[in-house]
Amino acid sequence: MAAIEARGVEVVYADGTEAVRGVDLEIPEGEFFGFLGPNGAGKTTTIKTLVTLLRPTAGDVTVNGFDVRTEARAVRRSVGYMAQETSVDLELTARENLRFACEAYGVPAGERDGRIDELLDLVELADVGDRRADSFSGGMRKRLDAATALVHRPPIVFLDEPTTGLDPKARNRLWDYFREINAAGTTMFLTTQYLEEADRLCDRLSVILDGRIVASGTPADLKSRVGGDVLEVQLDDPSPERVAFASSVAEASGVFDEAVRETETGLAVTSPEARARATDLLVDLRDAGFTVTGLDVHSPTLDDVFLALTGAGVPEDALPAEGVAP
Amino acid sequence: MSDGTAVEGAATRAREPAAGTGFLAEVWINFKRWNLKAIRNPFVVAGSIIQPIIFLVLFTQVFGGVASAAINQGPGPSINYTSFLVPAIVIQVSLVAAATSGIGLVNDIEEGMFEKVLVSPMRRTAVFAGKTLAELARIAVQVTIILVLGVLLGAHIATGLLGAITIMAVGMVFSLWFTGFSNVMALLTRDQESTIIAANIIQFPLLFVSSAFLPIAALPDWIQTISKLNPITYGVDAARALVVQGWVWHVVLRNLAVLVALDLVFGAVAVYFLNRASSAAVE
Repeated sequence: MAAIEARGVEVVYADGTEAVRGVDLEIPEGEFFGFLGPNGAGKTTTIKTLVTLLRPTAGDVTVNGFDVRTEARAVRRSVGYMAQETSVDLELTARENLRFACEAYGVPAGERDGRIDELLDLVELADVGDRRADSFSGGMRKRLDAATALVHRPPIVFLDEPTTGLDPKARNRLWDYFREINAAGTTMFLTTQYLEEADRLCDRLSVILDGRIVASGTPADLKSRVGGDVLEVQLDDPSPERVAFASSVAEASGVFDEAVRETETGLAVTSPEARARATDLLVDLRDAGFTVTGLDVHSPTLDDVFLALTGAGVPEDALPAEGVAP
Repeated sequence: MSDGTAVEGAATRAREPAAGTGFLAEVWINFKRWNLKAIRNPFVVAGSIIQPIIFLVLFTQVFGGVASAAINQGPGPSINYTSFLVPAIVIQVSLVAAATSGIGLVNDIEEGMFEKVLVSPMRRTAVFAGKTLAELARIAVQVTIILVLGVLLGAHIATGLLGAITIMAVGMVFSLWFTGFSNVMALLTRDQESTIIAANIIQFPLLFVSSAFLPIAALPDWIQTISKLNPITYGVDAARALVVQGWVWHVVLRNLAVLVALDLVFGAVAVYFLNRASSAAVE
């Protein structure tokens, strides 16, 4: 049995906004699954539908084998959910927040103290367990929030953009906990706009844009769609005319054909030959009178995946790109 | 780093959700949380009773002499203004306490706790019942303070200690319609300041255009008309009968009946909005 199964899920808000337009998911137990997309793509709406905060307008969803419409309480008992916005009671201490969560999820009274201590240890808040949450930093609040989602040892944990707004150190810490929870057998459902986050954590990904899944696969699968490694060249004079000229030089070399793209600082070339032919390109550019001030060859990142899938990259305003076919 | 025992065994329990909790246990869980929050905010709790205390002290001292004449116009034994005023202040503290209900709800929505509670397996009715009971407990404490203070200032409660407890119950029954109102304001505005302002704007006119501070007969005609439509009048009249007259059940029950009807109407509207907020705006 799949941990999460969704068929043809559509969610239409009362104001007519079609936030999710036919999403299918099948997530096996124990998988670390990532839902990747820009702001407004439908990630949060999907996750809220899976945890019974929203009712799907159409389609069928089972979580842990329970129907989200008819067995909502059973679904709620069996999942942990960490909302996008940090959700802790700031007037209570860390320990009191966890105690409330234990009680709310029916953790037997005899197990509560032990469970609370374990979780405070896990998220490294044991020494401040009796301090009020309003004295905590953003990262500490997030960690407390994550701990409260785990009190009932749920087989599935939903994380809605869990590291948004955290500094890199705090983010790395949370990633460690998530890996640890997943390693213990918990199915993880993560939404993120951080491409690096999905790459680091997830076994499998779906990319969502404008309420539809536009691509699915392992991070490696998705990267292979990009069509090779990426070679980025920075020029001393990145004016549009010079860049256009450099672009024509690269194409004229006959190696890279249509793989050349103009960037703000110079050129980017995506090709299986990128590593092997980097030197040739540099020589051609030098012969044409260019000064190359920077060079970077890397495996495709998920940013590049977005670019390949949408032709536009992650939109600046984080709104879904227009006219993207599923 | 932890040894990970907190997360062990999760996968093996896939189809085995945590044990359910009873309805009353869930009410208790939420009751405890809101009481704890109240204790953590002594200034809010104290602040909400200071204004009624100021009213009680100043009104009896400043208006006591003048008002005594007005309240002793009719036949019957003469009473002092403090006895007359104490029931009104009881209703005022109930009103102020009820107003903070919506503020707590907005705060919960802003902190994400509202959603966190909704996604838990607790029954929603138990969640709101626990919160409301915590607010009623606060009213009981505050009414007690007012009654004790009133007696110290010279009020005489005709029905004695049992009457004092009944007055407490009147305050609670009175408070519920305004609890409903303030929760609806909270859900409509989703903003703490707006909720506080809405409650404050309505509080003073309601108090003054009622039987709270002077007998209705002593008020101008137009205020008399409005005051008969004002819930404060019914709360004050029920409590005042117990302080001034004694166990006059027909008066107490007649006024309580009006309040219960109001409670049901405002409660139903609040439940409607809470349900809508809980299930979100999806068609």
